[in-house]
Amino acid sequence: MAKLSLMFEEKLVKEVPVGARPVTIGRSPDNDLPVDNLAISNYHARVYFEAGRLVVEDLESLNGTFVNDLRIERATLHDGDSIWIGKHHIKVDATGDTAIPVNAGRKAAAPKLNETMVLDTKVRRDMLQQAAAMGERSQFSPSRIKMPTLVVLSGKVDQKEYVLINKITVIGKSPMATIRLRGWFKPNMAAQINQRDDGYYLGTGDVQPSINGARISGPVRLNDGDLIEVCGVRMNFIIRD
Amino acid sequence: MLADRVEGELVQIASSGLTDVGRVRTNNEDSFRVVEPLSLFILSDGMGGEAHGEIASAMAVETIAEYATQPEHDSGATLHGDEPNNNWSPKTKRLKNAIHLANLKIYQSAQKNPEQRGMGATITVVWVDSEKLSIAHVGDSRAYLLRSGTLQQLTNDHSLVAEQVRRGLITPQQAEESEMQSVLLRALGAHPDVEVDVDEIAVLPNDVLLLCSDGLTRMVTEPEIAGSLQAETNPASAAQKLIELANERGGLDNITVIVARFLDESPKGWLSWLRRGPSK
Repeated sequence: MAKLSLMFEEKLVKEVPVGARPVTIGRSPDNDLPVDNLAISNYHARVYFEAGRLVVEDLESLNGTFVNDLRIERATLHDGDSIWIGKHHIKVDATGDTAIPVNAGRKAAAPKLNETMVLDTKVRRDMLQQAAAMGERSQFSPSRIKMPTLVVLSGKVDQKEYVLINKITVIGKSPMATIRLRGWFKPNMAAQINQRDDGYYLGTGDVQPSINGARISGPVRLNDGDLIEVCGVRMNFIIRD
Repeated sequence: MLADRVEGELVQIASSGLTDVGRVRTNNEDSFRVVEPLSLFILSDGMGGEAHGEIASAMAVETIAEYATQPEHDSGATLHGDEPNNNWSPKTKRLKNAIHLANLKIYQSAQKNPEQRGMGATITVVWVDSEKLSIAHVGDSRAYLLRSGTLQQLTNDHSLVAEQVRRGLITPQQAEESEMQSVLLRALGAHPDVEVDVDEIAVLPNDVLLLCSDGLTRMVTEPEIAGSLQAETNPASAAQKLIELANERGGLDNITVIVARFLDESPKGWLSWLRRGPSK
């Protein structure tokens, strides 16, 4: 089970588990994690499970919710992340649920190998079933169809939203671009979104895009709810079921 | 080298392929082929004891090169029982068929010759189709595209660890440290049928395409690969540099790389005017 530890200056204030019910965080005493500080809104944020992923959502708080330095409206949490609200932070311990045996497959596949080998069909099926039973965290989770989508909030482009299906999605004025920028002086290849095994990454092109207001200089993994800005176009990265 | 575009325009590609046995092994089980007139790039990493890995990878490469160079009368036909996807270009379909054929040949050869039991091969093929790349792939060799300084893998590894990362079970770092890296979920020659991944990607000027066997990617990190491809604009020197790097790190496996650079637009000036006529 996932666990949240409320910390103040490296001192543990309170620990709560995250179960079926959301954990609420705020200044009001009826929160699961009450934080008595004027910088915190009455109902500031909440943390809950959605489709097997641990999610934090800011409840339109005055001073904002941050995950590892980035201000978020909503973000998927990973083991070891820190949620910052005012001067407090909440450590995320998701190891419990992900009881994923990094070594899960090892017994089944037995021999220690330097030589490349191909799994036979039965072993392969067993291992993948075992794997499927464990994981729902991935953006490519096999049991649900996830549609990573960019929803355009403002700016001149050719569509209102884009479902990311390609390995590389180019944002630019080029006719080859998937997300086509309109207007004078827009670069052909402004930025790119790359699909990797562990998720989607926003990378630079002729310009440096920003994620949640922070300019990036190299590929950065996108989280559900991230706000992307490229050449005056603002888009939300959302993973839809 | 110049490859004809469908529209009659020119896309210029400079390419080079190179293979090396590495520092540990005594035989090279990798095979590759650059078919320049077709802008076709083929790479295969063989497996199986004795000399059989070499047989399998050579069979894969030769079968595909031959199939691709045949007259195109049946290019759109689906050779094998996959779902026909009519959205793929004829070249992409043709590559897919070629890989099914190669798989069957390797499988049958291994059935007929008991000493070849267990032989198999990976395959990664990229065919430049006017402004698109047709990509077809089975196994854990890789195709990458370097674009604006970002190196993007175009193929999914069909290895157990990569599948575990895709399912969110382990992190990419854990995958790199895993002892299970050599376990493949798919390869040519293991079964009479094989699932082939295909994809199409638009190319842009200045893109650099890299095909490589795992002898490179197990030894050299992606940022280092990106750095070498940016530093060495000549494809032959880039290929040489990557192989040197892999050998410096230990060269535990055979290393094969194919580097293709898409040059910045067609040549400008009077030469291009002569070739293409005045632009409209």
